[in-house]
Amino acid sequence: MLSTALRNVLAHKARLAMTVLAVCLGVAFVSGTLVFADSTAEAYRAAASKNFAGIAVTVTAKESPPRAAASRQNDQQTDQQDGVLDDALARTLATVPGVAAVRPSVDGSAVLNAADGTPLRVRSGANLAGAYVPGKDGKDSKDGNDSRYPLIEGHAPTTSDEIAVDSGTAAAGHVGIGDTITLATDGPAMTKRLTGIVTTKDTRVTAGGTLVLFDRATAQKLFASPGQYTGIDVSAAPGTDQFELARRVTAVLPADRAEATTGAAQAAQQAVYVGTLTRGYAKMPMVFAGVALFIGSFLIVNTFTMLVTRRTREIALLRAIGASRRQVVRSVLAEASLVGLAASAAGFLLGLGIASVLPDALSTDGNALPHGPLVIGPRPVMASLAVGVGVTVLAAWLPSRKAAGIAPIEALRTAQQPPTGRSRIRAVVGLALLALGTGMLISLTGAKDASEENLRSAMLGCGVLVVALIVLAPLLAVPVIRLAGRLAGRRPGRLGIAGHLAQQNALRDPRRTAATAATLLISTALVTGLAVIGNSTGQALDRQAAAGLGADYVISTGNTTTGVDQAAVQRVAGTPGVRTASAVTDSTLFIGGGVRTVSGVDPDTVNDVMRLDFVSGSVKDLGPGRIAVSSTTARENGLRTGSQVNARIGRNQDVTTYTAYTVVGVYKDNPTAHDALGARNDVQRNSFKPGSVQRILVRTDGGASSTSTEDRLRTAVGNNPLLKVQDRRQLVHEAAGTMGNLLTLMYGMLAIGVVIASLGIVNTLAMSVAERTREIGALRAIGMDRAGIRRMIRLEAVIVAAFGTLLGLAGGLVSAWAVGALANGAMEQYSLALPWGTLLLVCLVSLAIGAVAAAVPARRAAALSPLEAVAEA
Amino acid sequence: MITAPSFPHALQTTPGIAAATTDLTKTYGSGETEVTALDRVSIGFREGEFTAIMGPSGCGKSTLMHCAAGLDTPSSGSVRIGTTELSTLSDRQLTQLRRDRIGFIFQAFNLLPTLTALENITLPLTIAGRRPDRQWLDRVVSMVGLSQRLAHRPAQLSGGQQQRVAVARALASRPAIIFADEPTGNLDSRAGTEVLGFLRDSVRELGQTVVMVTHDPVAAGYADRVVFLSDGRLVDEMAHPTPDRVLDVMKTFDARSRTS
Repeated sequence: MLSTALRNVLAHKARLAMTVLAVCLGVAFVSGTLVFADSTAEAYRAAASKNFAGIAVTVTAKESPPRAAASRQNDQQTDQQDGVLDDALARTLATVPGVAAVRPSVDGSAVLNAADGTPLRVRSGANLAGAYVPGKDGKDSKDGNDSRYPLIEGHAPTTSDEIAVDSGTAAAGHVGIGDTITLATDGPAMTKRLTGIVTTKDTRVTAGGTLVLFDRATAQKLFASPGQYTGIDVSAAPGTDQFELARRVTAVLPADRAEATTGAAQAAQQAVYVGTLTRGYAKMPMVFAGVALFIGSFLIVNTFTMLVTRRTREIALLRAIGASRRQVVRSVLAEASLVGLAASAAGFLLGLGIASVLPDALSTDGNALPHGPLVIGPRPVMASLAVGVGVTVLAAWLPSRKAAGIAPIEALRTAQQPPTGRSRIRAVVGLALLALGTGMLISLTGAKDASEENLRSAMLGCGVLVVALIVLAPLLAVPVIRLAGRLAGRRPGRLGIAGHLAQQNALRDPRRTAATAATLLISTALVTGLAVIGNSTGQALDRQAAAGLGADYVISTGNTTTGVDQAAVQRVAGTPGVRTASAVTDSTLFIGGGVRTVSGVDPDTVNDVMRLDFVSGSVKDLGPGRIAVSSTTARENGLRTGSQVNARIGRNQDVTTYTAYTVVGVYKDNPTAHDALGARNDVQRNSFKPGSVQRILVRTDGGASSTSTEDRLRTAVGNNPLLKVQDRRQLVHEAAGTMGNLLTLMYGMLAIGVVIASLGIVNTLAMSVAERTREIGALRAIGMDRAGIRRMIRLEAVIVAAFGTLLGLAGGLVSAWAVGALANGAMEQYSLALPWGTLLLVCLVSLAIGAVAAAVPARRAAALSPLEAVAEA
Repeated sequence: MITAPSFPHALQTTPGIAAATTDLTKTYGSGETEVTALDRVSIGFREGEFTAIMGPSGCGKSTLMHCAAGLDTPSSGSVRIGTTELSTLSDRQLTQLRRDRIGFIFQAFNLLPTLTALENITLPLTIAGRRPDRQWLDRVVSMVGLSQRLAHRPAQLSGGQQQRVAVARALASRPAIIFADEPTGNLDSRAGTEVLGFLRDSVRELGQTVVMVTHDPVAAGYADRVVFLSDGRLVDEMAHPTPDRVLDVMKTFDARSRTS
């Protein structure tokens, strides 16, 4: 039977080509993603191990115990207070047996402006800064350079006015030797002269970050304290074990103030981090793979069903001459395996292509993925085979059962039997699923929040709904297409008859039509659902981003660990056109076991820059020991105006110390005001950087935002790269930026769905044309011209596509509505907003795909000779 | 009806001839494997006459009909429908000619399974974008006795009924000539007799021209004239045939082919 299967595959090459393509697409995404993940992880790892190549042990300061910290609450440099990592320790370490070299380092972060005055590649964790530490005692490097940062141009920074940057930073910022650079580490901006350009292998920098190097003294002043380092790297003499060396180093350290970590441990830690990073990137391609395979499986089922139908007589003959049912099933499944094998092989190769372009496709502006050779492990190969063959064989199982059901007597029948439906079972199952799915979704409308559990039920409900639609599709095909035909009206003449025949042909085998339409149904449902939810969420975010904001501009540092310098606050207040400049200090609030964000505001000016909607109490009552909370915070902690609550602001306090606060007001949730409000002086005293300001909310005269005002504000803050000056529109835009991924996901799915659906339509129509040659010949004989035949086939494709799109739209909209009801509980501003443009686009693309996919089968049909009408069967 | 202005190159031809072939030759393949299906066949089909084409299997009778009806293109020679020379027509014009001036009846009925009987009957008119002539249609439908079956689909009709639909379809557009290819080949004798009766009636009562290919002497007995083909050549002709006389001629072919 295997040879029969092989011969069948070869005999239906063209028929199966589409199936192979569809499976191939899914496999390509799977293998491509896996190869990409392996390659990227390897590239990261290669880079990471290079970073730690020369480091055996790193000595860092230990986190100080809380009691000690509390006593030094007002010390500016809280991290390196003890002054244990100094040159003396470095010298001590150099004497430890087995130590080859000691290299102290000062690490921190700094952001800088590009040549055009805009902040360069500002991204959390990617803007590195450090000290350029020339080698000591000739051990490090003979010419007294820092071997971690080989100089390629200019000279190393030696005074506090000089800096060096890495070549990537220089190129991205269009800066060169001798340029004056504006940069900031914290507080006010500084200007320094660029004297050197170095290279680095640090992946955080090469992957789209920046690196600024200061001379040692300046770096120590900025990131530690004079004479202090943030870490000391120790390299081992040949033959010395890292762990042994770590033990010896630990022995000479003051136990409670410094600790030693091996280079291997650091590399391993980084690898774990890299792994999480890569997995994040691999998520979206994997979703595509799943969608492609799911949709593709319908194509497989449909193709094999058609093949089995077409070979009914042949199979019946085999049964008549003694083949068992099992042999028939096995022959079909063997055929499917061969197809799956071919698809896996082709898909794997295509996947390599995908893997090589994915890094570029996934890299965004300031966020490049490392490049490296493709790593092809056994995992992608096995996965491709398993997925390709597995999906194909599984999908072919139903048709194989159908083949087994063919009675030997059918060998003797001349006419093709119309498909006999078990439509009652189908109707019952479909309706039951529909009821189940709808029930699940309706039961959720009462849900108050978008908890994990509720979301999962919503997803499941949507899935059940779509499956119900797929099951019911063959039954819906007849009434829906009839009704659509009636609505379109029966036009007389040539177009009318082509349309009428197309409609009748689409209805001839509703199951086949439904199975062909299923691909479009799924992709349309997915895209519609995502588009509606995305659009609604986006609009909600837009509304929310600007909701609580009364100010025209927001100047912010973007995090709570760096601050706006006081002088800048004064300058902003004094800028022409500024009516109110209200400084806000953001910090963390530990309350009821949770961590929230508290904003310290000036009660006198806050109403000018924030639109606060107090449910009870008033913002005027804020003061030392008196806070206001958002409705959510109030609900979570059971607070009302007048309540007393134990809470802690900031972190420079003993973890056990809670202060009693009085709640003086409850306001409606407001993203500008965060979770709680306090008086600024009160919050400032306890924030990460005591006395600092994180945001300035600016209200201008007349309120209109103009570029000149924005420019004046930028100037007022000294073009500090640390600070973002944003108007409402930019804030909204930033909030909407998170929707970008969803858009990519949506259009990716649309593309995949459309490609596979078009393959399916080509397949089905080609099969239909092949089955109807005699009929088409007769049409040609009695006078339908080639154009008419083409039109008929094309219209049939459009009808099938429209049917799938219609059901998909229905499923997608209902699902979006249901999920939206959930989101409504979580997002105050959420309301269902239909993205008409996108929905229209989806419909047009789907219909167009029908017409385009039909081109080849239509041409083939039109080329049929009228003599086919009289050809021997 | 005979000349349509849309067809150029209208040739002078004998009046009263619905279709004619002159030196019609059709060969298949080339070189060693060349087979001559028709060898310089010249024949005319008179208006209002029922002609049967007969001959043993492989004699070329079907090829003759396909070429004469514009379904197949001859290798050489000319085919005219009325005054229109088919070799000058493009595929589009040929299609139009088949649609407007030729009716077909096939052995395998070739009705569209998705259309009702009535829709099948009016299909050539619908394709042409013409409105059927109500009176004519009623007459044709009642003649073939389908009045009660017009809403049925082919699958709900017997073979004889399906072929009657096909006859009605051929007649509906009042073509210049109807070609019938073994119209009784798939029917039992009773249904076959019915269909042949309709064809003869259409000639007698409606003045239709019918050309029928058959290998059944009984069917040929309904015709006004029988032409015999053998090895691609016209070999004999008989006016007012009877089944017995036709059978006698056929027997001589069998004997000849056996001795050759």
